[in-house]
Amino acid sequence: MDLGIIGAAIGAGLAAIGAGIGIGKIGSSAMEAIGRQPEATDKIRTNMIIIAALIEGVALFALVVCFLAL
Amino acid sequence: MSYLKDKGFFLFILLLSPLFSLGQTDSTAFDAKSMVLGHIGDSYEWHIGSIGGGDLSVSLPVIVYSPHSGWHCFSSKKLREGQEYEGLRIAAGGDYAGKIVERQSDGSDVRPFDLSITKTVAGLLINSLLLILLVLGSSRWYKHRRADSPAPGGFVGLMEYLVSSLVDSLIKPCVGPNYRRFAPYLLTVFCFILLNNLMGLLPIFPGGANVTGNIAVAFVLALATFLAVNLFGSRAYWKEIFWPDVPSWLKVPLPLIPLIEFVGIFTKPFALMIRLFANMMAGHAAILSLTCVIFVTVEMGTAINSSMTFVSVLFNIFMNCLELLVAFLQAYVFTMLSAVFIGLSQEHHKPETSEQVEK
Amino acid sequence: MGLLQPESGLLFWMLLSFGIVFFLLARYGFPVILRALESRKSYIDASLLAAREAEEKLEHLRSDGQKLLESAEQQQREILREASELREQIIREARKKAESEGQRIIATAQEQASAERAAILDDARHQVAVLAIAVSEKLLREKLTDENSQTLLAERLLDEIERSSKS
Repeated sequence: MDLGIIGAAIGAGLAAIGAGIGIGKIGSSAMEAIGRQPEATDKIRTNMIIIAALIEGVALFALVVCFLAL
Repeated sequence: MSYLKDKGFFLFILLLSPLFSLGQTDSTAFDAKSMVLGHIGDSYEWHIGSIGGGDLSVSLPVIVYSPHSGWHCFSSKKLREGQEYEGLRIAAGGDYAGKIVERQSDGSDVRPFDLSITKTVAGLLINSLLLILLVLGSSRWYKHRRADSPAPGGFVGLMEYLVSSLVDSLIKPCVGPNYRRFAPYLLTVFCFILLNNLMGLLPIFPGGANVTGNIAVAFVLALATFLAVNLFGSRAYWKEIFWPDVPSWLKVPLPLIPLIEFVGIFTKPFALMIRLFANMMAGHAAILSLTCVIFVTVEMGTAINSSMTFVSVLFNIFMNCLELLVAFLQAYVFTMLSAVFIGLSQEHHKPETSEQVEK
Repeated sequence: MGLLQPESGLLFWMLLSFGIVFFLLARYGFPVILRALESRKSYIDASLLAAREAEEKLEHLRSDGQKLLESAEQQQREILREASELREQIIREARKKAESEGQRIIATAQEQASAERAAILDDARHQVAVLAIAVSEKLLREKLTDENSQTLLAERLLDEIERSSKS
C-alpha cells in the first residue's frame, strides 16, 4: 500500500474524530439547553444544525484534502 | 490530479480492503471496488443487472462534438465492450478511463466535447421532469379554487404542508423581512435536492442514479446559492466585506480582514457543495459496499457467505433508513444554510455575524 | 476517474435542467402555492375577525336584552310596589273608616245604653218609690193621706240614698 493512501486514511480518520468531538459537544449542549428551556426548542435546533453544518464543512474540507492526497 | 484519476476510489471502501485483496487474488473474482465506483460514478449506459451472463442495461444517447469530425449522435449500444464507432470508443485505461475518446491520426487519444446523456444526466432529466410534474400538478389544483374552498388532501396537501412548514419554520426566520423574494428559489432547491436524493435511494432503473452525489450537480446548486447571495446583496453586506467594522490596522495597509471575508464569500458555497456531494456519495458508497459483502464472501464457503449475507441485509436495511434521513437532512441543511447566507446578505442595519447566527 | 472533477457535459445538462426547473417552479409552481396559502391565511384571519365581531355584536345584543329585561323587571317591581301601597292605603282607609264607624256606632250605642240605663234607673227608682210608698203606706196608712206629698217625700229620700251611695 502506498504511503499516500495511508496518509489519506489517517487524515480522514483524524477529520472524523475532530468533527465527531465538535458535533458531539454541540449536541450535548443543545440537549442541555433544550432541557433547560423546552420552549426555545425550535430556535436551539436551528442554531444547532447551522453550527453542526459549519463544523461539518471544516471536516469535509479535510476530507477533500485527503482525497487529493489519495 | 491524474494520480487521483486512476487511483481514485472512495475512503469507505478502505473498510473492506482486506476482503478486496482476497478477491483480487482470483482473476474471476468479484471486483467490489470497480463495482462500487461504477455505480456511484457515471457511465454511458444505465446498467440494471446481469441476467444469465448477459447484461441488462438501458442504452443512452451519446452526443459528442469533436473539433475534427463534428457532431456525433448515436446510441451507446454501439460502444459496448470497447467497440469503436465513428472513430469514437470508450477508453479502457489511461487518463480518460471510462470516457469517450477519439483516436487521432497519430494514435493518441483526445477527448471530444462530451454532451452525452450519461446515467447521471438521464437520472437528472427524469427527476427534473418528475419534479416539474409534481409541483406544477399540485399548483394546478389551486387554479379553480378560491380562498374559502376546503384545504387540499392527498399529494397536494402534502405539498402544501411541505411548503408552508418550510416557509414558516425555515425561510421566514432565516432570510428575514423580504423572504418572499427568495422563497421560490429556496423551495425549488429543497424539492430538487430532496427528490434527487430519494430517487437515488431507489435501487433500480428510474432511480438509483447518484445525481446529488455528483460534484457537478452539487456545484451548480452551490453556484445558484452563490449568485442568489451576491447578486442581491445589500450595501451593508458589501461594506461588511470590504470595509468591516474592525480596528483600522487590520484593514490598512494590509487588508487582512477584507481578504478573509472575501475568501469567505467563496468558501461558504464551496462548503455547501462539498457537504451535499460527500454526504450523498458516501451514502451510496456505504450501501453498495455493504451489498458487496455478499458477493465478496461467496469464495469463503457457504457458512460464512450465508451469515455475511444476513449481516449485510440487516446493515443495508439500517443504512437505507439512515440514508432516508440523510436525504431529507441534506436537502434541509442546504436550504437552511442558503437561507441563512441570503439573510446575511440582505441585512440593512449594521450586521453582526454572531447575532445573525442566533436568528 | 475523478470524483472531484466536474464533467463538462454533466455541468451543461445540470445548468440547463436546473435552470428550466427553477424557471418553471419559481414562476408557475411555488408562487401559486404560496399565494394560495397566503390568501387562505388572510381568509381565515378575516373569518376569525368577522366571527369575533359577530360574537361581540351578539354579546351586545344579549346585554341589551338583559338590560331590557332588567328594566322590565324594575318596572314590574315598581308597579307591584305601587299596587301594594295602594292596597295598603285602601285597607288602611277602610280600616280607619270602619274604626270610626264602629266608634260612632259604639258611641251611639253607649249613648243609647246610658239613656236606657237612665230610663231603667228612673223606672227602677219610680218603681222603688212606688214600692216604698206602698210599703210605707202599708206601715203608715193613716199618716200619709196626701198621695202627692207622700211620693215627693219618698223620692227625696231615694235621692238622698243615691247621693250617699255615690259619694
